[in-house]
Amino acid sequence: MSPYPHAREDRPPTAASRGALTISDLDKSFQIGGQARRILDNINLDVRPGEFVSIVGASGCGKSTLLRLIVGLDTDYSGELRLDGERIATTSLDRGIVFQDHRLFPWMTLEQNIELALLNTDTPKARRARIVADHIALVNLTGFEKAYPHQLSGGMAQRAAIARALVTEPKLLLLDEPLGALDALTRVHVQNELQRIWMTQRSTMVMVTHDVEEALYLGDRVIVMSPNPGRIRHIVEVDLPHPRDRRSPLLHRLKDEILAELTSGADAEEARDNLVHLPSREVR
Amino acid sequence: MNGWLARFPVRAAIGLVVPALLILWWHWRTSAQIATFAPPAAVGRALAELLHSGDLLRDTLSTLKRAFAGLAIGAPLGVAAGVAMGIWRPVDRTLGPLLHALRQVPMIGWLPLMGLWFGVGEGTELIVISMSAFFPSMLNSHAGVAQVERRYLDVGSILRFNTAQRIRFILLPAAMPLVLTGITQALAFSWIATIGTELLTGAGSGLGVAMSQAQVQQRLDVMLVVIAVTAALGFLINQIFRRLRQSLLRWQPSVQ
Repeated sequence: MSPYPHAREDRPPTAASRGALTISDLDKSFQIGGQARRILDNINLDVRPGEFVSIVGASGCGKSTLLRLIVGLDTDYSGELRLDGERIATTSLDRGIVFQDHRLFPWMTLEQNIELALLNTDTPKARRARIVADHIALVNLTGFEKAYPHQLSGGMAQRAAIARALVTEPKLLLLDEPLGALDALTRVHVQNELQRIWMTQRSTMVMVTHDVEEALYLGDRVIVMSPNPGRIRHIVEVDLPHPRDRRSPLLHRLKDEILAELTSGADAEEARDNLVHLPSREVR
Repeated sequence: MNGWLARFPVRAAIGLVVPALLILWWHWRTSAQIATFAPPAAVGRALAELLHSGDLLRDTLSTLKRAFAGLAIGAPLGVAAGVAMGIWRPVDRTLGPLLHALRQVPMIGWLPLMGLWFGVGEGTELIVISMSAFFPSMLNSHAGVAQVERRYLDVGSILRFNTAQRIRFILLPAAMPLVLTGITQALAFSWIATIGTELLTGAGSGLGVAMSQAQVQQRLDVMLVVIAVTAALGFLINQIFRRLRQSLLRWQPSVQ
């Protein structure tokens, strides 16, 4: 039995039009202390339908800001963001997101939290309970339907958040360091789950992470970003079929390369930053 | 619930130790000098007398009726005002300063004015009691809605909630702990205001009326009975509401 029986029987997946994300000439600035500070600088990226793209980079490189823009929580940017050709102007049920904190509503049970995501969809009421149950099964939480979020472990709550984001069948799922708060063991476990879900579901996914290994294990491509302002520095193709083997020599070689790039880059950036911002050193 | 039942006798017994010691001390003191204070035995006789005549029951019921009528008017209005002020800034800007100034006047301070406008009677008492239930409900509900976390509102925006859905599914439940704190305070305040207005207006029946009549008649024993009943009832109402609150907030990790 497929764990995903409702897989869009009404909308046949046409590879060209499902979840193609286009980012062109994207710039984003924040006003900090009365000055415009550029956070994202000239971002250009095409994400193919059904692709898994990971974004890594030092903190401050604007990766989370990028996701907030794509999901539509922040619409103050210049350049273009398009999903399947349509310009992104606000939030939409076509774009789901999972945050680092699960953000399940603590006053609702797991089941109620997931069903709430269907509130503004045209899913018939009669089918909702079934769809919710299927998604709880998809993230292996059957039996915990009536649990309140504080009764779930960190990994379980995060899987529940993934189910909530997937239940609306978004064309594009954004993952903002979804496993960042989990311990190492749970993390590996949820990474495997995530890979399995993506292979079952095949919606386009864009994941931001600090963890290079995680980025490589899951991503078809890994976008390496550099900070101040956030730029795309390098795009790494991970030419390995899914499901992947963590021991693959290619993954380890790529990991070493990206880590070397990130650390050398970060040191350089930081040193330059210090020169600019510390008056005592500016004299020299 | 089982745990509570099992724990209850021990807990209640511990809570009764100090009152029992006080009564013993009281008995010992008053049996020496009868004139200055009614001894426990006399108070017991007065209680039996008041129970027998039905006066105590009548007074208690009128007081309860008044307090809950005031609460039923003041608390919902206060919650509505507080939530509205928390959600819509213009409402807060226009109504907030006035309400915050008005609440500085002790509720009993409104009695003379209300008495002039509406006469001394049920209407005036009800207004003052409602007002004392209104303000704590308003303040706490306002704070509750104002401090709802941005990250939950973001989820609402991602799920395309409209205003009504945002209020119903995010703002109200997130504010519920403080709303209930406000209602708990409203409960205590309206109880105090009820006894207070009854004491001052002294019309009809009620525990406060009974107190002031006992003062006129110099019935120390009756006064002590009424005070004890007031204290015990107030305590009981508060306990019942605490249980209710715990069951409403069972989703909170701290409320188990």
